Amino acid sequence: MFSKSKPMWGKKTKLKSSYDVVLIGGGLHSLATAYYLAKEHGITDVAIIEKNYIGYGGAGRNTAIVRANQRTQYNVPLYKEALDLWPVLTKELDYNLMFNNCGNLNLMHSEAAMNAARMTIATAQFHGVESHLIDAKEAKELVPALNISEDITFPIHGAMFHPPGGVVRHDAVVWGLAKGAAKMGVEIHQQTEATGINTKNGKVTAVVTDKGVINTKQVLISAGGYSAALIHGFLGIKLPISVLTIQAMVTQPLKPILDHVVSSGAYHCYANQTLKGEIATGAHMDPWPNYTTLNTAHYIKHQAEALSEFLPALRGVRFMRIWGGLADMTPDMAPIMDGNEQVEGFFMDCGWGYFGFKSCSAVGRHMASFMATNTCPDILKPFALKRYQEHKLMGETAALMSYTPDN
Amino acid sequence: MMNRFNHLPTLKIDTSDKIPFTYKGKTYYGTKGDTIATALYANGVRIYARSLKYHRPRGLYSMDGECSNTMMEVNGIPNVRTETTFLKPGIVVKEQNVKGSAENDFLGFIDKMDWAMPAGFYYDTMHKPAKIWPVAMKQIRKAAGIGKLSPDHHMPGKYDEIFPTCDVCVIGGGPAGMTAALAAAQKGLRVILMEARPWLGGHFEYRTSEYINRQTHHERAVQLAKEVEKTDNIRVFTHTANVGAYNNNLITGFQVGKESDVFTERYIEIRANSVVVATGCIERPLLFENNERPGVMQAGCALRLANTYGMLPGKTAVFSIGHDLGLETAVSLHDLGMSVPVIADIREDGQDPALLKAVLDRKITILKGWVATEAHGGKQVKKVTVKSVDATVSKTYDCDVLVASAGFTPLTGPLVVNQAKLTYDNHTNFFLPTDLPKKMHAAGSLLGFENAQSIEASGLLAGLKAAFDCENCSIAELGEAKKAMEDLPGPARGTKLVTAPVKGRKTFICFDEDTSIKNIKQSIDKGFDVPELIKRFSGAGLGPGQGGIPGHNLPLFTAKYQALPDIKIRPTTVRPPLVPTFIATYAGTNHTMFKRTPMDEMQRKDGGIFRNIGVWQRARYFSKDFTCKKEIENVRNNVGMLDGSTLGKFRIHGPDALNSLQRVYVSDLSKIKEGRVKYTAMCNDDGCVIDDGVVVKLGENDYYFSTSTGRAGQTIEWIRYHTRYDNWDFALVNLTDAMGVINLSGPNARKVLEKVVDIDVSNEGFGFSEYKEFTIADTIPVKAMRLGFVGELSYELHVPASYMKSLWLMLKEAGKEFKIQNFGVEAQNVLRMEKCHVILGQESEQRTNLLDIGMGFLWSRKKTGYKTVGVAALAQAEKDNTRLKLVGFKMENNGRAPKDGALIVDDRVRGHVCTARNSFSLNEAVGMALVEADMSKIGTRLAFYEDECNGELIYGTVVETPFYDPEGKRMKM
Amino acid sequence: MALTITCPICGKRNGYEFRYGGEEKGPRPDEKDLTPESWCDYVHMNKCVAGVQQEWWFHRDGCGSWFTIFRDTTTNLEKETPEAKE
Ligand SMILES: Cc1cc2nc3c(=O)[nH]c(=O)nc-3n(C[C@H](O)[C@H](O)[C@H](O)COP(=O)(O)OP(=O)(O)OC[C@H]3O[C@@H](n4cnc5c(N)ncnc54)[C@H](O)[C@@H]3O)c2cc1C
Ligand SMILES: [Zn+2]
Repeated sequence: MFSKSKPMWGKKTKLKSSYDVVLIGGGLHSLATAYYLAKEHGITDVAIIEKNYIGYGGAGRNTAIVRANQRTQYNVPLYKEALDLWPVLTKELDYNLMFNNCGNLNLMHSEAAMNAARMTIATAQFHGVESHLIDAKEAKELVPALNISEDITFPIHGAMFHPPGGVVRHDAVVWGLAKGAAKMGVEIHQQTEATGINTKNGKVTAVVTDKGVINTKQVLISAGGYSAALIHGFLGIKLPISVLTIQAMVTQPLKPILDHVVSSGAYHCYANQTLKGEIATGAHMDPWPNYTTLNTAHYIKHQAEALSEFLPALRGVRFMRIWGGLADMTPDMAPIMDGNEQVEGFFMDCGWGYFGFKSCSAVGRHMASFMATNTCPDILKPFALKRYQEHKLMGETAALMSYTPDN
Repeated sequence: MMNRFNHLPTLKIDTSDKIPFTYKGKTYYGTKGDTIATALYANGVRIYARSLKYHRPRGLYSMDGECSNTMMEVNGIPNVRTETTFLKPGIVVKEQNVKGSAENDFLGFIDKMDWAMPAGFYYDTMHKPAKIWPVAMKQIRKAAGIGKLSPDHHMPGKYDEIFPTCDVCVIGGGPAGMTAALAAAQKGLRVILMEARPWLGGHFEYRTSEYINRQTHHERAVQLAKEVEKTDNIRVFTHTANVGAYNNNLITGFQVGKESDVFTERYIEIRANSVVVATGCIERPLLFENNERPGVMQAGCALRLANTYGMLPGKTAVFSIGHDLGLETAVSLHDLGMSVPVIADIREDGQDPALLKAVLDRKITILKGWVATEAHGGKQVKKVTVKSVDATVSKTYDCDVLVASAGFTPLTGPLVVNQAKLTYDNHTNFFLPTDLPKKMHAAGSLLGFENAQSIEASGLLAGLKAAFDCENCSIAELGEAKKAMEDLPGPARGTKLVTAPVKGRKTFICFDEDTSIKNIKQSIDKGFDVPELIKRFSGAGLGPGQGGIPGHNLPLFTAKYQALPDIKIRPTTVRPPLVPTFIATYAGTNHTMFKRTPMDEMQRKDGGIFRNIGVWQRARYFSKDFTCKKEIENVRNNVGMLDGSTLGKFRIHGPDALNSLQRVYVSDLSKIKEGRVKYTAMCNDDGCVIDDGVVVKLGENDYYFSTSTGRAGQTIEWIRYHTRYDNWDFALVNLTDAMGVINLSGPNARKVLEKVVDIDVSNEGFGFSEYKEFTIADTIPVKAMRLGFVGELSYELHVPASYMKSLWLMLKEAGKEFKIQNFGVEAQNVLRMEKCHVILGQESEQRTNLLDIGMGFLWSRKKTGYKTVGVAALAQAEKDNTRLKLVGFKMENNGRAPKDGALIVDDRVRGHVCTARNSFSLNEAVGMALVEADMSKIGTRLAFYEDECNGELIYGTVVETPFYDPEGKRMKM
Repeated sequence: MALTITCPICGKRNGYEFRYGGEEKGPRPDEKDLTPESWCDYVHMNKCVAGVQQEWWFHRDGCGSWFTIFRDTTTNLEKETPEAKE
């Protein structure tokens, strides 16, 4: 029943002097890309270069909420594919990713918000994704702890209910993908830092690391929140990204009290109960760029204030842990996926902000196809960097996300 | 109930005051000063709870607050740490996570199933076949979690918050902390001292052993506490746990209120210039088989039970310890009447000679270089096996208490969460702070000092260092304090033993998660080779104890198992809150704050139904009919009155006022004439419309302008941002709150206004798009504009907020005969939609530019050289014919309006409905939509896909706009 | 972290009184020679420096001025000069 105690992602090997493909960053997106490069394209001479340990970044810090009810038609199919992949991956990897498809409730606090939600719901339904607008009473039936009284800061008018969404065990995805990729020959080099990319005549020739130079023709930077700094540092390419700290926290574990993911834009707050029983909650970002992953007194208090209003029963439970991670935010809240455009052989997959967990499987699959065939799959085309020059922001958010005075 | 001592000087209980409480449905009595756990202990309770995974019995172990063995449900509140929570009369205490009772738990058998649950077993199970997972998941959820909380739980009590500042904040009210606070206070500084326990004194407070010259530690603690309390510039917060420390010395904590306090708990956030951390030590758990069996407890716990709470922990205590506190405890408990057959001391040598003598004087056997290897007894300790550390010799002793402690572990939490670096120190076997953040100092036993004088001297030094940070102490003085320290004993040597010589199947490194050292080995073997990953994989340290129990042992054990050199031993991460903290407490007073307009009260009286809109509360409807039929018809046929006070209102003047406006507005404002109103818009750099409003020229380089409600708060920073390199000279004033606005609209508007003003308001005297200033009744100054947002004759009256009520009443009175009525924000929404006047954010998305929305006419292309925000992007995007455009549409065959947010589709999404209504004015359904440019031509058929439509589309056609009064005659009449 | 920012007018204050305004990129470029690339570079693109950067802040709950500071994005602490190290 239990695999014997041997290292799950292979013995530590020495870094070779060349690989077909080098992936910088040992997060979900690199791991998934490596997995699919090997599985669907037979490319196994692949090295993942990770500065700390796999899952050190957002991959190990996120709250693992998954859903496919995005706002635009460019996003919904991608996230739908990702959502459908969890059971498939659980089986393929033979690793329990603990997909809890408990459904997500996104609370609406005004008539205008209900109307805005309707568009998102229609978009989901048009693409075959289940999502419904429900009123406050129905929301309360699903989440008995919800406060639907009028006398809170943002009274609840209803919710967008997305039954197929939920939560996945984020660590399991990291370890499972690592296990799956390593089994097919991908090498995972932890404690190895990429320090540069060498190019010649507009083509990638090598990746420089603190453990030596690796010759390669293809490199992907998908280093989560660190990507923008690396891409600028290594290749001088600037990106429309601001790297902010996003925090999350958990309470002490409780017996089941919250059966769905509940989120509220107005309160800047989401909450769900993990399988272990903790209430995991987060959402807010301190709106200035930094790489500290430090948490703030301000935020944990804010979160308590918000929960006190719309899930007041939780006033009787204690917070026990808060942590921070990086969110690389773009102005249109949509990622940047591009390749062979700025430099031949250079690919990037970043700008995932605080929503890059849910997409990682599908994105890894398409990035793998992009790298293997040197042709951008249609589904990724709208995410190219060029859109910012062309004044074609994605529209994933109704209000602008920018850390200039632009919002 | 057992007899309690009542003669010890250290007691914190009053045995004459009995307190009743309910436990398992029956009434029990504790005494005043008891914690819930000590009251239960006094009533013979030894098993407080069952463990999470294996349902092992758990008892009183630490009393320092880092252990969750005694978590219980109290008055419906789960996970209350009963060992540190005061007993209150009438409380109802329940056991948690048991099937049956803590004493007899039907799930106790799981303890034998541990072989089936190696570290991370859940990742390898329950997913094959896939259909068992949903079932398994339900069971996991039920089994996991500890306390129960009802979804309609109402948290009783009052929660408060304070945000004090001080020069020096001292965390920890033990001897070092008190000395530091006194030192800083004597320098005239404002000091805050916070202490987690309900009283000052720390590690001295409960000990009756000698401090110096016959004075006991306890007496010394009392002496220092008195000094602190009489020092005016020290503000003491007792029963206040420190929970966070952030850079630039922001310190957070929460205080538990006393009976006399007005708060149950209060959140405290302190900004200090300098901070001293003197949080002391807790004990490092000793690792051996069944090391958490009820009856096993740490030395401090056993001693506090006796000295603070007046009861012996049992009859016979075996000791397995690694520090002098263990010896001291053995002597004390012996003298109070316990039998102590043996002390196994991990140390071969180095014991305090006086204590050693005291032990021998009492004929207690002491085995040096020995350690407990197993506690026997199913639910409670009955017997203990002790072995020499090399496991060559072994003995067994009967007992009902096993005092077990491997050594000390420093409470460096406040330092670490504020980014101090910790380094493993071989001498103390501590992780010591080596790289402290600026203006943060450490003192006391957390640095490894055990000698009482050294502890106080380190406190003095830290207090002076803090004073030095505040520029209140000389270098010479610091030097003296440093020198005084050097003459005293340095940090004590710590025991190195990581685990007793055991295999470790039931040796628990983490109690909360039932993580044994065997599980740790399994994790490491699987490739999880750093403490952070081991934690995640095995769960160790992630439970409600927040790493307090495994925090020190986990990295030590990991290093030992991997045979790492000292420099590679890394501590585990500590995260705030350092002490678990109620959400209610963090929330504090939890104010909600909305702005109300000067008309708020009047509109509420008139039956306004209010909504929170941005920072404001606004009247959205004036009846339960949310289609607003009456309100709308009244504006179209008679006259209505709307409170527009939330509009942003600004004045800009000075030599560069015009330049600034030219920078941010797309129109050419150099062309406005005095007495005229100019409607215009602001874009962001992407050409997307962010605001629209009107500009009025009051005089030379003096303008009054309005912004949308949502933008009012950002307008000043926006204008200043976009002119920040220019060094322009202008003054910009936000008048939003100072001025109210009444919108008087409808064919009878003029008739109403005529009655209250004495200027000529005829169409000739005050025409469309004109601006006038006048006073009403010689008193009320009015800035009036003729605009037509709702498409009727209308006047927008801007009036100082204090006069709003009077004017409102005057208009209402004057309007009676013309059937004047209030109308709200929703009615306005429909009225303006019929005119195809846009509301930004409703008819536009963040990516909608000025041209998309049909407002290109506002852009003055001839205006160049102003670097106007957005126009470069507009010029670049102009040729793009794939953008979304705003169109008006009507429904086919007199059909109903699609819902707002409906999609416009063919084989894919081509746009969406912004606003659509069945128009009472037009008697048909109309709306506005953003559609791809190729569908924006008049006559294009639109297919609407609504949510829940099941693929059934409804249809409409793109038509000319506006729908209502296309020539605009009505607003110009 | 508990950010503090030093306003040239009001002095060192709690960071939440301020609003971040982007990396310092120099004055607004002249609109007439802007290409889509140079426009985009000015408007959207950032260097995302992990280290000391010069950046704009607005004292929103204070005097209302825009000013620049140097801040180390890896520690969230202000620096006197771009080179300043810990
Ligand atoms: C608190 C929080 C909550 C979140 N919640 C959700 C959620 O609920 N749902 C959701 O979908 N998303 C969520 N996210 C976002 C999601 O976690 C991220 O978008 C995603 O993990 C980023 O992709 P990644 O895993 O590939 O990158 P990361 O995991 O961030 O990986 C980056 C890796 O690169 C490594 N690295 C950096 N520099 C170098 C270098 N020079 N050389 C080698 N390696 C390097 C880092 O050590 C790191 O391991 C959340 C994020 C946070 C922080
Ligand atoms: Zn200021």
